[in-house]
This record gives sequence, structure tokens and C-alpha cells, in this order.
Amino acid sequence: MVRKLNTVVLGAIFTIVAFAVLWPVVHMVSAALAPGQSIANLPVVPFANGVTTQHFEFVFTQTPYLRWFRNTLVIAVCTSVGTMLFASMGAYVFSRYQFSFKRHILMTFLILNIFPAFVGMVAVYVVLLRIGGLDTLWGMVLIYLAGNMPFATWMVKSYLDQIPKSLDEAARIDGASGFRIYAQIIVPVARPILTFLAVTAFTAPWMDFILPKLVLRSPENQTLALGLFSFVTDKNNFFTNFAAGSLVVAVPFMIFFVATQKSLIASLAGGAVKG
Amino acid sequence: MSATLTQRDLPLGDTDVTGTGRCRTVLVLACAFMGLAHLTVLRQWVKGATFALVEILLLTWLPLIVKNLRGLVTLGEQQLDVPVRFRQNSLFMLVDGVMTITVLLLFAAIYYISVRSALAAERSWSTHGVRPREESLPRTFLGKAFPIVGLTPTVVLVAFFVVVPLVFAALVAFTNYSAPQHIPPANTIDWVGLENFRRLFGGSSAWTGALGRVFAWTLVWAVLATVTCYFGGMLMAVLVQESKFKITPLLRAVFILPYAIPGVVSMLFWNGMLNGAFGTVNRTLQSIGLIDGTIPWLSDPWLAKFTVVTINLWAGFPYFMLLIIGTMTAIPADIIEAAQIDGASKWQVFRRVTLPLVMYQTAPLMIISFAHNLNNFGAIFFLTGGGPAVADTTTTGAGGTDIMVSWIYKLTITLLQYGNASVLAIVIFVLLAPVAIFNFRRTKSYKEGEL
Repeated sequence: MVRKLNTVVLGAIFTIVAFAVLWPVVHMVSAALAPGQSIANLPVVPFANGVTTQHFEFVFTQTPYLRWFRNTLVIAVCTSVGTMLFASMGAYVFSRYQFSFKRHILMTFLILNIFPAFVGMVAVYVVLLRIGGLDTLWGMVLIYLAGNMPFATWMVKSYLDQIPKSLDEAARIDGASGFRIYAQIIVPVARPILTFLAVTAFTAPWMDFILPKLVLRSPENQTLALGLFSFVTDKNNFFTNFAAGSLVVAVPFMIFFVATQKSLIASLAGGAVKG
Repeated sequence: MSATLTQRDLPLGDTDVTGTGRCRTVLVLACAFMGLAHLTVLRQWVKGATFALVEILLLTWLPLIVKNLRGLVTLGEQQLDVPVRFRQNSLFMLVDGVMTITVLLLFAAIYYISVRSALAAERSWSTHGVRPREESLPRTFLGKAFPIVGLTPTVVLVAFFVVVPLVFAALVAFTNYSAPQHIPPANTIDWVGLENFRRLFGGSSAWTGALGRVFAWTLVWAVLATVTCYFGGMLMAVLVQESKFKITPLLRAVFILPYAIPGVVSMLFWNGMLNGAFGTVNRTLQSIGLIDGTIPWLSDPWLAKFTVVTINLWAGFPYFMLLIIGTMTAIPADIIEAAQIDGASKWQVFRRVTLPLVMYQTAPLMIISFAHNLNNFGAIFFLTGGGPAVADTTTTGAGGTDIMVSWIYKLTITLLQYGNASVLAIVIFVLLAPVAIFNFRRTKSYKEGEL
């Protein structure tokens, strides 16, 4: 009896939560396919007004959507690769070498971890202006890289600290150079944590808003988040176009997260708890 | 130094320099000019030349350095008779000054390293009796000097794109950099001491009131957002793990969807859905007859606060659900079995074994999540835009759901009130300092005494 009641209660909770989660998602798909422009025309029952692909066509042909997509992809890939490279090198040095100012740099990185990068956004703007990086993708990559480094370096360093030093000391005694040890021993060993970092660094730029807003001024250099936002600002109200454009980014993300949920659970629990 | 050492030095040709004397000579030379000791006594040409080059470069920049430092102090003269684009730009002077100080500090660090390197070479010479040999350049950079190669990109990037901006932001708090009267290049900025602090901490009732209101809401928001997502996620994690339904894996996939949808997208979408007159939520409630008028989800200051917390729960519970499922599956099965053999009921196992273990593992993450939520710009800005407007919004720009960061964003991007924004940034610093210390003490390096 109690067990049956439990099943009913559990089923009810799951139904309610699933409904709450899915209702807006279904409406988003519906909005992307619904005729009309503004939110006011959207049907209360999803798909009730029929289905059209005109918003997808509009987004791809009449707006720089593909351009935004490409820009974001370039920034995300460069940031991801750069973060992996610099963080693994820095973490290896911090984990295996003794040198002047090591403690100071590590402490500084730990403190910087906590502060959001955009607190100093005016200065970021001026520094980029000074080196000609304003309104460029590489300027954006530099900011992201710098912002990622303290956290990423610490993360990889903590991971490397757990790996026995005997592994690379043997190679050092055999005469391997610092670089060879890094490339042939450290990087392969640190692959799990580097993959985690690569994924995090890759996903972040897709939806970051403040820094691109500040740095990327011309329409052809903007990223997806800026572009999508411009569909639904006070001046524009192309809600259905926004929904269509959003869906194109959100679907790959959803597939990725659902497909990798097993390893996601493991890396979240492992990576985050160890910090 | 012992006589034997001095004698062993003899065949190397430095008959006039004893061990002690050489140590002093190296120290003096190394301090006098960077790399000088390497070039003369130690004969490490490449190393010495590199160090010397750094100092020569700095010396050639000396006039620029002095100019930048002077600019940092004066922040330029008001030149109303000069065309705008030729006027002195206080903003650039401020940033250049901070960058110059950073360069000088980096230079001082390199200087220190060069002296240490010279002394280390001399010490090795004294103990081994052989002058340290210089390795070929590629060998040095891939071998002994690998730390330099490995760390330079990181240190330079962080110094110029993270530290310089943060120091700049802190300095701006002591200037009058704000619209409409003090925006370069048309006008200069001046140091004004604590004027901004006075305005925000008691001087102006509108600003002080807004600061108190936003500060309190930021804290309440961060606590509520963290606690709701954590316990919501935990509830779902436990239910998903306990349930024996066949479709549970599918349900789990459904529940992580909000986490998978990029934040900007879901928040902007909810913003449309919750629109008072046209939003799908209100029109749905009307059509099923639950309400007659409209519910001001985002336009009533109190209801808007409730709405942002609720929508944040929608978006944020999957993260903790995944995290707690991960922690729960990592609990060794024999602990649970032992409890069951002792006759513990399901609830007791959960209450006494699973829950404490999960809490112990994930509680530190609540602190991190709290810090994240203090600065959760996206959850506020894209959902409500910081609105709705309240009494002091016209003066201060702070709306009913604005937290510190979204207020800073508005003050900087829309209202150009940089001075006030920087004071707020400093307030965030202070707010986050305990979290930083907590984070610090939690690291393995701290526990093992490395830091």
C-alpha cells in the first residue's frame, strides 16, 4: 500500500517537473515554426497556427547569422585550444619546478579566480584600443584566454600534483628535456582534465554577452549572443526569428549534453569537488 | 671560503679573485647592471646578453615611462582651446600609467631573478670548482628555462588583461570619471579622493538608498538562487536514483534540458513568455480561465523578484541534480549495504548515510555557486533587464531586480557613470573576499603547506 502510494506520488512529481521543463521548450520550438513576428501572435497551444520554415530562411538569408556563427566558432575554438596549451604548460611548471615568485603568482591566480573579468571592462576596452585589438576576433580571444588562465592553471596543477612525480623524474634522470617531459608524459597523463577544460572553454563564448558587446562593434564581427539579442531588443521585436536562431544553437548543445550526460556527471563530480 | 676552494679556482685563470671576493664582485656587478655579472665574471654570454638587452630596452623607454607616470599623477590638463582630438586624454593616461607600473614591476621581478641566477651560478662554481657551462640556446629554452617559456604567455596575459583592468577599476573609484562633465577626450578626469565613496555611503540619499537596496537584494538573491537550486537538484537527484520506472533514464535526459540550453537563449525566451500583456504565460492562464486580467510577472518589483528566483530554479536545478547523482553513484555500495544489514530503513539510510556524505562532498560547491550567483549577470539582465523601475531609478539607474553586477553594467555601458560603478566594483571585491579566502584554504596546496 505504502509502496503503491509512493509510486503514485513519485509519478506525479515527475510528471509535474517534466511538464514544467518541457512546456517552454516545446513553446520555443513552436515559436520558431509559427507564422507571424511578435510574441503577441503566438498561439497558446503550441503549433496551433500551423507550421512554417520562413523564419529559418529569413535568419539564414536576410541576417548575418552564419557570419555570427562562424565568428563564435572561431573564438570558441581558439580559446579552447589556447586555454589547453597555456594551462597545461603553466600547470606543469607550477607542479614540477621551484622558482622565484612561484608562491606569489599562485596566490594571485587563486584570488583572481573569484573576480568576474568584466569589472575592469573599461580598461580592457582601452588596452585593446592601444594594441589595435578592438572590434577583432583575436582581441576577444585574448580576453577570454586571460580570463580563463587563473582557474584553468589551478585546475590542471591540482590534477598534476596528484600524479606521482617519479613518473617524470625517471625521464629527467634519463636526460629528457623539460619540454619533452611536458609533451610526452605530462600532456597524455592530463588528458581527462584538459578535455574537461577544452569543453568548458569552448561552450562559454557561445553565450557570453558583456565582453563581446564591449569589444565587437561592427555587425559583421559580432557573435551569436549579440546577434540573437538584437532580434528582441526594444527597437526590434522579431520574437519568432529569435526563436528560430536560438534553436539552431540550442539543439547541438542539447544533443551534446544529453549524449554525454554519463561522462558529464563524472567530470562534474570529479572536477568540481577536487577544485 | 676555504683555502682549498681558492686553490681549485686557480687553474681557471682568476688568480686575483678569491671565492669570497668573487661572490661579492658577482653581487655588485649583478646589481649594477642586469646581466653584467653573467657577461664578465661568469662568462655566460647568451644569458647575460639577454638580461642586458632587457635593461637596455627599459632604459631606452625611460622617457616614455617617466611621461606615463607623470600622466598617471596629473591625468592631463584641461585644454579648452585645443581641438577635441588633440586634447590630452585622461583615460589613456590612466591606463598607460597602470600598464607602466605593471611593466616596471615585471622588470623588477626579472632583475631579481637575474641577480639570483648570477649568485646561483657563482655558488655552483665555488662548490664544484668548475665554471658553469652554458648550454646551447634551444637546449636552454626547452630544458632548464622551460618554466620561463611555459609561464610567460600566462603571466603576460593575466597581467595585462586581468590585473591591469582590475587595478584600473579600483583607481577609477577615486576619480570623477562620469557623464556628462568628465568624459574624455572632450574633458579631462581628475582625482577626487573619496568623493564617490561619500556619495554612495551616506552623501546622497538616492544613491545611498539604491546601494543599500541593491546590496541587500544581491545577497538575498544569491542565497535564494543557490539554496533553491541546490535542494531542488538534490530532490530530483534522489528521486531519479530511487525510482524504478522504466522511463527514468529518459526522464533524466529531459530534466537536464534547461542546463543544456544556453542561458541567454532561455532567459530571453522566458522574458517574452512572461510579458504582461502579450506573454504566452498570461494568455495561457487566461484561456484556461484561471485569471481575468494579467499578472505583472516582470513589472511588479516584488513579483519580479519572485519570478527571477523561480526561473533561475528552472534553469539551475539540473546542474546540481547531475552533480549530486555523480556524488551518489560514487558512494561505495558496501557502506549502504552495511547500514541495511544493521536494519536501517530506506529513509534512515538516506538520512544518516547518503545525505551526510553528499552534503560533505558538495557543500563547498554551494559556496562557489553562491559566489557565482552574486555575479550572475545573465539570470537577471536577460530576464528582467534589471527592471522594473522603482523610485530612485531615474537618478541611479538601479531597477527593482538589479543586482550589483547588472547595476555596474548599466552604470558603465548606458549611463557612463564610471566613478560610481568602480565604487560598486570595490564593494563586490569586499563581498567576495571571504569566498576567496574560503577557496584558498580549501586547496590541497594550502593544506600541505605549499602556499
